[in-house]
Amino acid sequence: MTSNLWKYLKHHGQPFIGLVLILILGTLLSPHATDGTIVFLSSGNLSDVLLQQTEIGIIALAMTFVIIGAGIDLSVGSVLALSTCIGALMLTTWNQPIIVAIGAALLAGALVGALNGFIITRIRLQPFVMTLAAMIGVRGFTKWMTGNVNVDLAFGDSPSGRFAELFSSKPFAIALWVLLAVVAHLILTRTVYGRYLRAIGENEKAAAYTGLPVRKVRLAAYIGCGLMAALAGLIHAARSHQGNPNDGVGYELDAIAAVVIGGTALAGGRGSIIGTVIGTLVLGLLTNVLRLHMVDSNLELMIKAVIIIAAVWLQRRGSGLHGEL
Amino acid sequence: MLECRNIKKHYGGVVALNGVSWKLLPGEVHALCGENGAGKSTLARILCGITVPDSGDISLEGRPVTWLGPQEARGAGIGIILQELDLFANLSVAENLAIGNARLEASGWISPAALHDAARPLLHDVGLDVDPALPLDHLSVSQWQLVAIARVLGLDAKIIFMDEPTSALTDDAVERLFGLIRRLKERGVAIVYVSHKMNEIFRICDRVSVMRDGEMIATETCANTSIDQVIRQMVGREVTMTRGQRTSELKLPLLKIESLSTRKLRDVSFTLNKGEILGVAGLVASGRSELGRALFGTSPVTAGSMQLENRPYRPATPHDAVASGVALVPEDRQKEGLVSGMSIRQNTTLASLSRYSHGSWVSTDEEQIASKNILSRCRTKLADEELPVSSLSGGNQQKVLIGKWLLTNPKVCFFDDPTRGIDIGAKDDIYRLVAELAGEGLGVIWVSSELQELLANAHRILVFHDGRCMEILDAATTTQEEIMRLATGHRTPLS
Repeated sequence: MTSNLWKYLKHHGQPFIGLVLILILGTLLSPHATDGTIVFLSSGNLSDVLLQQTEIGIIALAMTFVIIGAGIDLSVGSVLALSTCIGALMLTTWNQPIIVAIGAALLAGALVGALNGFIITRIRLQPFVMTLAAMIGVRGFTKWMTGNVNVDLAFGDSPSGRFAELFSSKPFAIALWVLLAVVAHLILTRTVYGRYLRAIGENEKAAAYTGLPVRKVRLAAYIGCGLMAALAGLIHAARSHQGNPNDGVGYELDAIAAVVIGGTALAGGRGSIIGTVIGTLVLGLLTNVLRLHMVDSNLELMIKAVIIIAAVWLQRRGSGLHGEL
Repeated sequence: MLECRNIKKHYGGVVALNGVSWKLLPGEVHALCGENGAGKSTLARILCGITVPDSGDISLEGRPVTWLGPQEARGAGIGIILQELDLFANLSVAENLAIGNARLEASGWISPAALHDAARPLLHDVGLDVDPALPLDHLSVSQWQLVAIARVLGLDAKIIFMDEPTSALTDDAVERLFGLIRRLKERGVAIVYVSHKMNEIFRICDRVSVMRDGEMIATETCANTSIDQVIRQMVGREVTMTRGQRTSELKLPLLKIESLSTRKLRDVSFTLNKGEILGVAGLVASGRSELGRALFGTSPVTAGSMQLENRPYRPATPHDAVASGVALVPEDRQKEGLVSGMSIRQNTTLASLSRYSHGSWVSTDEEQIASKNILSRCRTKLADEELPVSSLSGGNQQKVLIGKWLLTNPKVCFFDDPTRGIDIGAKDDIYRLVAELAGEGLGVIWVSSELQELLANAHRILVFHDGRCMEILDAATTTQEEIMRLATGHRTPLS
């Protein structure tokens, strides 16, 4: 068992290094509370980081699938806004029960994913172009649907109040993320679907010659991505206590950054859910460390940029892919 | 057992198969041979459901069938080992063996233990002793080939197509493959052996079918035909390799290499004269292509020196090499040579574009004149220079590639196996062109897999083995046997 773990760390360990470094850095730099405890390591602070990262974290899980299949999905930020607003409208203006609101929001996300996947696999539009178009179009639709006004959720014992309380609670949101991560990891490593996806991302022509259902596998990855973005949207609605059609801008890039820091290759074929989870945590912890020190948020972005480059460079060094012309 | 009638297939305007009828008997090993482009791979792909024919009928055990994809043909017991190895570098050996195998993937879940158990007997069958959990990345090309073979065995196929299965195999792996073919035959499996290696065909096959230009020329039992006859049928005429296209060289040193070493070359020394054609022989990965990379600045030189026209020459990048007058016509036309999406003209002028531009503007007129001249000099057959380069046949693509490098006005040109996979007519054109260029003073280094070609065209021949230059032979006096001995690492005593 230990030797297996060691083997795993040797081959997939690079993302862990980043995580450990950030944890050490955070501990050393952390301010101390009045009773002398380290604020950074307090369970309250660490679980805050987890909660803050659940939305990006859940999207990044599905994004890992899309990227391993040699695709990309830029529409997730807009889908998040769409789901947020549909959920909020359902619960308030349209007076629907919680379960219907959740179902409608998830369905909307899955439909956008299906549209992306359909056009990419059938009409063979490049994933970047198609999802860029979806990102613009879905944002426009969401604004039109809400009249570009925020939809506020109610408090107390109304459907929207109960919904917000559940979805914004730390244990629920974090448990959901952990559960989805475990499921995603198993799908990627232990199912035929996961293996087909990796095969298609690595060598699409060979996959077709092998007779694999290339289109269906790709389509499913995009549907999953839309679905997860919609789920993140529901958490977002609960946490911000409203449906804001202008939220979620730039989320796609944060999710892609988490995936890339986690060692997934943008060219497709190679990557892991564990890496993505770590990538998400690294980004979250970094923000946390800097915020505890009241570092300017603009400086924070610049440091993030350096982290992304350093993480990918380290992994390339590790895999010995450098130096070839 | 498997039969096809009047199969036709066009790619654009090119006829790949022109009404081919053919029959496979139960339990036989049947060779399908022909030159590159004869249509043998296309026929194999059609019978295995990878390619859809334009017209024609296929029947399996007397029943007509229409394959909608490779999965269907496989379900009916037909497997294929493809030439370009349809494997996945990111997956493990066991995963590669199981992928697309309906039996192992039925539940949707994968158990690594079950995969490894299924993989071991297959690996044992092909004589590959590796950990099934190892990613394919870590295996050599020869081992990839064995994995591809093992994968088809796992399908329990009744008919197995093997498209050039030995092209990447070492000699003892070839022997093991032949043993395996015999065992499969005993089990009643019919095998279609696509190849143009005559010795192998006549060792292992029962019958041989010859294809030429998309047509089935003849099918005979191996006992009733001979290597010579099959070659005649493949080529359609008598093949004669003429010696003496060489012009006399000038004894002026052009490129001097002393004790050159790189990651894959050790201590190589030679001098190339002006107007000389220096042949380079050696097996794949012997360092013959690495020599070109060192000359062209893509493989760092670790020791030794190079002098070009008595001045030190040490290119850091291909850009430096081109500026100094060194050109390299790479081995892989598709990956390293041509930009398939660009037109013939744009490909031809890509390496020398600054000559036809003023500031950043390309002068289309000058560019057209230059490309027209060089393409006609290279005897390129084409309808329109504005068509994509991918519309040309392999031989004409190779001529475009050579033209591209000649436009840089090189002093030294390194040709890496320039006649690989092209038809005899185009080969002949290239022989003449190179002789002409050498006559004008160009220094030519010519890597080739065909020894006859080197003997007929080169002045001297460098023989590489394991990164070393074993010997420099005079092409007029040496023999194929001597070169082969050196290339496989046996030093012959100097006579």
